[in-house]
This record gives sequence, structure tokens and C-alpha cells, in this order.
Amino acid sequence: MLKPGTPEQIEAVVHDRIRRVLQQRSGQVHVLSGTDKLNATLGLSSLDLAFLVAELEADLGVDPFSKLVSITSIRSVDDLVRAYRGAILGGDKLQAQESDLAAAVQRANNRRARRARK
Amino acid sequence: MLMNQKVGAASRDLDQGRVRDATRNVAVVSGGSRGLGAELVSGFLDRRYAVATLSRTKTVFIERLLRRPRAKNFCWSAVDARDDEALRRFVAEIVERFGRIDILVNNLGIAVEGVLPTMRAPDIVEAVQVNLTSALVLSQACSRAMLRQGGGCIVNISSVNAVRGHAGVAVYSAAKAGLDGLTRSLARELGPRNIRVNSVAPGYFESEMVKGMTDEQKQRIVRRTPLGRLARAEDVANAVYFLASPQASFITGQVLIVDGGVTC
Repeated sequence: MLKPGTPEQIEAVVHDRIRRVLQQRSGQVHVLSGTDKLNATLGLSSLDLAFLVAELEADLGVDPFSKLVSITSIRSVDDLVRAYRGAILGGDKLQAQESDLAAAVQRANNRRARRARK
Repeated sequence: MLMNQKVGAASRDLDQGRVRDATRNVAVVSGGSRGLGAELVSGFLDRRYAVATLSRTKTVFIERLLRRPRAKNFCWSAVDARDDEALRRFVAEIVERFGRIDILVNNLGIAVEGVLPTMRAPDIVEAVQVNLTSALVLSQACSRAMLRQGGGCIVNISSVNAVRGHAGVAVYSAAKAGLDGLTRSLARELGPRNIRVNSVAPGYFESEMVKGMTDEQKQRIVRRTPLGRLARAEDVANAVYFLASPQASFITGQVLIVDGGVTC
């Protein structure tokens, strides 16, 4: 089992697994984009997705879909990567990133409010 | 924890064990400490499977198996069937130890009797948890291993009570009918990945579950049975071995009734 510690490493593992599944199906090597839709663009069925989740559980030691996330909310490659980042980095790194983002949004809103008052 | 090795020894021997067992098929039997479950555990071991089973308590049968000289192809874990997480851990430990799961027999079950209007709510919930939910959880966990290895077989032990109505067993019937529904839908879901799912529906057979019956009640069942006797655990187990075998490789989503003809 791999122990990826960064968001980039998690993305690499998820992309690699998706590519392997696609290669098994079509025999071709695919170039992935984060916005690719798993079903509509890449043609993955729900059973392919189940296989992918089983493989990723073996790779990463987590299953975000057992409790945290509903698989039906996953549409794109990026959605899948986000689910695994959330499950692995979880409460610490991800929340820190989200709170940084929330703080930035708050600062921007404050600036807008100040400009409006002027 | 799988009980025939200490934790340290288990992890130390894991890689060697996996190589040793690489060509050995692995059967998981829930509720294998007594009755039909024990019959299945013995039968699969005789057929040279590695076998994993769980039950709430360790019986003499389990202790005897764990003491055998060739105990490494058998493991038992104390698991409460109502504990979903413990069931998942049990499956994860089997995969870690044996590297694969070829057959799952969802045999766990408890008898629940009483007319529905007067049953205690917690008893209803427990009966569904043990007879149905545990099978869903084990099927989910084991099917992931089967998906990864490219095939497998699940056999659900249902009941004739799922096929025919009987007064006083409404909750048991509902849970067992749920198992048959699981069988049919899961067969469709997993068939494309070479995972077969079937049910075996026994009639009344000599087991802990009929221990509470009077001789008169048993005789009444025998009179209604065209083959003129109660089933034995081995009659039911033989149907499971068949469905799990290559001879049944084109059978999936079916309920095989083993009741001596009562429901024919």
C-alpha cells in the first residue's frame, strides 16, 4: 500500500489507476484531463468505477465512499481526486487549505464592502 | 483478529503464507462455528480450500480446527454480526492473509419467532441486522476482492420461509426474502465481472434452529415432505458446493430450494 502525503501524489495515483482501467478496456494509453467526465467522456460504467474504487482502496488504504462521500456525486476525474484527497489528508491539511481559502474570500468581501462604503 | 496465529507471527509469515497459498482457493463462511456453517467449513477444508469463518463465540468445533497440525489454512475470528466495522475488518484481514477470496457463503443467521404485532422492536432490528445486513456488508467487502481478482462466487443461505408464507416467522421471512432479492440484483450487477451469486433455500433441517421444536412439530414437517424426512446439514451443504463449483459456472441469480419437495 502506498502512502502518498501530498495532494499531487494522490492525484498521480488516482490518474494512474484510471489510465490502467481505460487501457485494460481499450488497449490504448489515455491522456487524462481533470475535467474529463468519468462516464460521459471516458465511458466508465458503474462497475468499472466499483473496480476502480476497489483498486484504489488497495493502493491508498482508504475508501472515501464508505461514509464520507456518495459515489453518485462523483462526475469528473477531479471529483474523484478530491474525494481521495479529502479522505487521506482529511481534517488537517485539507481543512487548512479550505480555511485559507475561506479567509481569502472573507478578506476580498471586506475589501469590496470598504470600497462600496467609500 | 484472525485467531490461529499471534499478530506478530501473522505479519511475519504473511508474505510466505501468500506464496504458499497462492494456488489455494479461499472460502469465507459466515457463522461457521456450528450447524450448517460447521458442515460447510469442514467440507471446504476437505476440498482443499483455505477457509475463514466468523462467529460470536468459539465452539469446541472451532477449537478443534485451530489445534490441528495444518491449521494455517483455517482462520476464525470472534465477530458480532451486528458490528459492520468488525465485519469489514474481518474481510480485510482475510485478504491480507490469504491474498484473495473465491467463495463467500452468507450463512450467518438467527431464528426469530413470534407474531409481528407483539414483537419487541429491538428484536426486529437485530433479526434484520444478523440475517440480512451482515450479508450485505460481507458481500460488499468480499465482492471488492473478487472484482480485483476477476471473479468469484457468493452463495446466500436463504430459507423456504422466503418462498412460502408461514405464521410466526414474518421477520425471519422478510430478511431471508431480502437475501434472495440481493442474490438476483447482485448477480446482474457483478455478472459482467465473472462473479456469480446464488441462494440456497433450505427447508427445516436438523440444526440448532429446530432444536426448540417438539417431536410432534417435526413429525408434521416430515409428513408434508415428499422425501419423508427432515433434511440433514450435508444435504444443504452439497447444494452450496455445487453452486460454488465449476459445474455451476453458468448459473447465477438463482434460488435453489433444498426441502425434500415441501414447496413443489
